[in-house]
Amino acid sequence: MAKEYIRLEHISKKFGEATVLRDLNAVLHRGEILGFLGPSGAGKTTTIKILTGQLKPTSGDAYVLGIHVEKIDETIYEQIGVVTDQSGVYERLTVYDNLKFFARILGVPGERIEELLKRVGLYEHRKKPAGKLSKGQAQRLVLVRAVLHRPRVLFLDEPTSGLDPSTALDIHRLLEELREEGMAIFLTTHNMEEATKLCDHVALLNDGQIVEYGTPEELCLRYNQDKRYRVLLSDGSRLLLGQEAEDVGRLSRLLQANQVNSLHSCEPTLESVFLTVTGRALG
Amino acid sequence: MRTVQAAEKMHGGNGGIWRRTGMKTVHWNKLSVILSMKWRTQFSKNFIAMPLFSVGLTFVMTLFYGSMAKSNGKALDDSVRGVALSLGALMNTTMTGILCTGMALAEEKEKHTLRALMTSSVNGLEFFLGSTLPVAAMILIVNVLSVPAAGLRPSAAAWAMWLGVSVLCAIASTVLGMIFGICCKSQVSASTLISVPTLVLVMVPVFGEFSGFMEKASGFLFTGVLSKAAAALAADTPRVDGFGLGVIGAEILLAAAVFVALYRENGYEKE
Ligand SMILES: Nc1ncnc2c1ncn2[C@@H]1O[C@H](COP(=O)(O)OP(=O)(O)OP(=O)(O)O)[C@@H](O)[C@H]1O
Ligand SMILES: [Mg+2]
Repeated sequence: MAKEYIRLEHISKKFGEATVLRDLNAVLHRGEILGFLGPSGAGKTTTIKILTGQLKPTSGDAYVLGIHVEKIDETIYEQIGVVTDQSGVYERLTVYDNLKFFARILGVPGERIEELLKRVGLYEHRKKPAGKLSKGQAQRLVLVRAVLHRPRVLFLDEPTSGLDPSTALDIHRLLEELREEGMAIFLTTHNMEEATKLCDHVALLNDGQIVEYGTPEELCLRYNQDKRYRVLLSDGSRLLLGQEAEDVGRLSRLLQANQVNSLHSCEPTLESVFLTVTGRALG
Repeated sequence: MRTVQAAEKMHGGNGGIWRRTGMKTVHWNKLSVILSMKWRTQFSKNFIAMPLFSVGLTFVMTLFYGSMAKSNGKALDDSVRGVALSLGALMNTTMTGILCTGMALAEEKEKHTLRALMTSSVNGLEFFLGSTLPVAAMILIVNVLSVPAAGLRPSAAAWAMWLGVSVLCAIASTVLGMIFGICCKSQVSASTLISVPTLVLVMVPVFGEFSGFMEKASGFLFTGVLSKAAAALAADTPRVDGFGLGVIGAEILLAAAVFVALYRENGYEKE
């Protein structure tokens, strides 16, 4: 079993009277990606802030690299990388100087900067002031900064939100490579496709509660009780059939009459699982 | 490398990082990186204007008074040079010290670089020193350059007094700058909030020349003590009275106490 890097036990968080997180439990191992999925306001950013020592939980325990979150101090950041929506860049400094600055703080050699810049396709922009970067470029810059020191755990808050599909793909590729290198990645997203594709485990978060937890496949299968088949007939018409006796009889008659052109089972997506569990669509 | 041991551990509030990373130790390698970055920032166009303006003010005022004296057929009195020096030094100490420090902190928050620093293993004390020391150094350099700009040639004792008072005033004003920086979320709010107290700190000693009440009030401000020190330097009577030193000391302590209280509440942020 791979090493456990993050553990959440009964984590709850209140802001004044409002309960924002309720009894969260999860684990993340070395070389895994754990996705927290949920609509806006579900508590994703709050969870990351608690795990990175930026907020205190109201109750419960969480451990990052074996250290209780209430005991962590600034030295933890030498072993974890954090990207939130509040991770800025020094706009007057160039891309390279931004990274050089943080690399010197973290004691990282200069070659690492060049290597990463090339990997994310920012190398040709290295002399640009960071304030002049496009959104996708800036997003890649903060991501590079967060992994400069080869952290063991990387926290990413909606790393691809608002990015075009091809930039998002670049980022996905980098995350997969980092996972290969053994990094554990905790990411939040409201993009179901991203979660299905990248994550080893997902937690569906709704109103501060984990309503489902498992691998993307497990979750899809679990909600595949109500199996449905999409049938394309030779006359071009379509049917959606279920597993009731009536539908099954009809399907077998159609098959015997050789009237079926194609037959597909409809697997639920994480999106539809979320809809089933919470009765609401992802924002 | 942990050298400076902390007195305090931080509590309270929701602003976790700063509370937790506390003000405990200084890692010299991290501090030196921040110092060199912040020192370079001093020369960016937003920040260099104030120091340049201050030296320029002393120089231009000296020229102006000089030409007035000349038209009256007299040589320029050293006490008038002291007035020009005082004006530039006041502008420099307050504008550079409070405005530049406060604006820089507000900018770090506005652009979210403060959080990036704190989540890259920089602690509150390293950030504090990294933010204030370069500004204090700039204040000192400008106060030193302003002396020849006023055409003064002080004795060694007068230089020592001037440097000493300048150092103390630089400390007071940079801590004040950090306090205002904590209270502001953006550079715009920082520049409006800071301008009024800065104006008071400059104007009270300046009007002290003309009004007895202002002169009394000025005695209770560190900028008033600085202004007197400029006069003493010009007269080559390098003395600061105990009351003046007490005023600066008390104001530094008061500013430090307010800063620590604010910092303990929520780090460099205010919700
Ligand atoms: N400092 C705070 N004080 C009070 N309430 C807060 C605070 N921070 C967050 N909240 C509330 O907590 C809830 C969860 O917020 P959070 O930012 O964690 O959501 P999120 O899942 O990250 O949403 P999004 O997808 O929009 O980023 C929201 O209702 C928000 O208003
Ligand atoms: Mg969020």
